Amino acid sequence: MLLSSVVIILREVLEGAILLSVLLALSSQRDISLRWSLPALLLGSIGATGYAANFETIAAWFDYVGQDIANATLHLLIVLSLTAFAILHQVYERSHNNAIIACMILAVAFTVVREGSEIILYLSGYMNNSEVFPSVMLGGIIGSGIGASIGTLLYYALSCFLINSARKIAYLLLSLFAAGMSLHVVTMLTQADWMASGHSLWDTSGWIDESSLTGQLLYAVTGYESTPNANQVIAYIAGILLLLLLPRLLKKGFEVYEAKS
Amino acid sequence: MFALWFSVLNSVLAAPEFKIEIKNHLFFPAELTIPADTKVKLRIFNRDDTNEEFESYDLNREKVIMGNSQTVIFVGPLKPGSYEFFGEFYPKTAQGKIHVE
Repeated sequence: MLLSSVVIILREVLEGAILLSVLLALSSQRDISLRWSLPALLLGSIGATGYAANFETIAAWFDYVGQDIANATLHLLIVLSLTAFAILHQVYERSHNNAIIACMILAVAFTVVREGSEIILYLSGYMNNSEVFPSVMLGGIIGSGIGASIGTLLYYALSCFLINSARKIAYLLLSLFAAGMSLHVVTMLTQADWMASGHSLWDTSGWIDESSLTGQLLYAVTGYESTPNANQVIAYIAGILLLLLLPRLLKKGFEVYEAKS
Repeated sequence: MFALWFSVLNSVLAAPEFKIEIKNHLFFPAELTIPADTKVKLRIFNRDDTNEEFESYDLNREKVIMGNSQTVIFVGPLKPGSYEFFGEFYPKTAQGKIHVE
């Protein structure tokens, strides 16, 4: 029981921890105080508790695919918050810090709502079972501890690099994260039959199995999927383009516009 | 007329439904055979008091099912083969397979 709860909680915590540490590293480079993480985590926790408390009602919507629709919406909101963040962060080198902070708070809060609600639903299942509850909670604490440590390590690792390379690595991680989130939108909508399904385009499970440690880590950081269908691949590429290419194009556009006027 | 046409069309196009139950952290049936190249609707009833998460790496599916509740998951169209699934919250006991023929 202990080991499986460590793994389950770690899986849920890891995504949020990685996103938070990348955004914190980008904040400190820009001399933005790291205090924004507190309201982000608080808002996320309140949202997660509300979602978990009303989960049964939400899950029954649209003939029992409400959960998929709610989660797809959360994933989409994360992608949109990160896209807005990337645009503001790259186009405005010095100004618009408050809007940038708002985008980071939203992205982290939505991620905590999504992952936190699953943690609450998992733990609440053991609440009345006094025999295993202590070991499940202990596993949860260990899992969260490992997740938080990985996030902290990543934050300090990014701080060790020179500013330019750290920014590039942070953006690469952020765009892979957003790509994974857009892929999840498609997965959830397909699972609910709100989007057409199709055969998988390839199978890399022989190379990296999703259930392996590497597979799970890759899943948390990059949304790794060993047997994606065409829609998932398109969503993944779109996610990368939104974070890596769109801000650059807009920045160039603004520069041309300002040079003309 | 439109409503009638729609309901007829819907019943013709509707994905075949298969039922699975969770009892004492076990899937019943633990093995299920579904047709190849066909979209299928899985209706899963959780008869336990505890929550469970239906999870399958092979099928790209994951979904929480609250205790004493039900859920719907669409899978396929799939190529012939065997696809494993498990209950993430009780992975030691809750295991199953979907055979596609």
